Amino acid sequence: MDSNTIRHLRESVALLPVDDLAPVDEFYRRLFELAPDARPMFKIEMGQQAKKFADMLAWVISHLEQPHDLCHELRELGARHSGYGVKIDQYAPVGSALNWMFQRTLGDRFTPEMEEAWLEFYAFATFEMERGSRESAPTGRSVTLNSD
Amino acid sequence: MSLNTAVVNHHLDQALNSPLFRNAERQSRFLRFVVDAALQSPPATIKEFDIAVAVYDRRADYDPRTDPIVRVEAARLRARLREYYEVTPPEGVRIDIPKGQYVPQFIPVEARAAKAASDLSMLVPPFRSLSADPNDQNFCDGLTEEVVHKLAQDHRLRVITQSAAAWLEHREGPKPRYLLEASVRRAGAEIRVTLHLMELTGGGSTQFSNIYQGTTKDVFITQERLAEEIRGDLSAALHIGRPGGERVH
Repeated sequence: MDSNTIRHLRESVALLPVDDLAPVDEFYRRLFELAPDARPMFKIEMGQQAKKFADMLAWVISHLEQPHDLCHELRELGARHSGYGVKIDQYAPVGSALNWMFQRTLGDRFTPEMEEAWLEFYAFATFEMERGSRESAPTGRSVTLNSD
Repeated sequence: MSLNTAVVNHHLDQALNSPLFRNAERQSRFLRFVVDAALQSPPATIKEFDIAVAVYDRRADYDPRTDPIVRVEAARLRARLREYYEVTPPEGVRIDIPKGQYVPQFIPVEARAAKAASDLSMLVPPFRSLSADPNDQNFCDGLTEEVVHKLAQDHRLRVITQSAAAWLEHREGPKPRYLLEASVRRAGAEIRVTLHLMELTGGGSTQFSNIYQGTTKDVFITQERLAEEIRGDLSAALHIGRPGGERVH
């Protein structure tokens, strides 16, 4: 990711309302609309899940210039999801819902450059997750899409 | 060099049978769909809507403005193709899907060029910080990223990052020819980067080394300047500095 991409990611997140989980609720609402079969995979209460997602987003944004830490965390995340049985194809609706969250929340302030930055970041993030999953041995446990 | 459908299809089959694509069923379908459309005579136009319906099972009322699944997956597919060519130098043809469009380009790759690209493979592990301060390792990571980014601009070089190297370990075939290692020392605001380029196939002999200096005052500018200096020196050392220039080692 170059410095422009990082700037657009940060600017878009800075435009989200502070201490308000409504955008994350919108993200999950859209995700379950696009992938209804994902809904039963979430085992914890959705308020808790939304908080975890918001924390993860904040952590990622604060570590964009620390690729070592970022890649390590994403690979761990990918390995855990692989263990849960999540398949590569199941990442796609999550990226779509993420884009929707910014579109709905920011309206015209979500510029094409910001969208392009999120598409690039999501491609990078899911690729690192895949690497993590490839490097780990699958355990074949039940499927979940929790963003832990 | 002209390309025919059989060459492209053979290359596509090879790519889709690789471990990187084998487990990515939808992205494999995506790639096959756009390649098939482009190979039609005359080539079919490829719209976001067509891919959504044909590959992602969207219905006729699909609206790309509210469901950007094709754009999301196109970005991921481009990344997957990049990774594939990083570990498998193309022979005969290379498939590119330029940003902002879905029509693939089939770029002829001469056998000689493929061999040369393979010959100029370089493994770049993360640069090491010699201090205990975790911020210094962050600086090293950023500098590694910047150097890899600049080196990757030269298509004659095949730059392999640490993660790709881990994948290569499990794959038969030629190993990277060069290893680029660097360590970073810091004293106050002064930074010193020691760089070594080694030829792995030549018993690990050092081909080039140098020391670079900078400051921590403006981290991004320093990283970019150092990366540009390193890129220039490596290009000169490998005789690939001029566009179309030949390597003589």
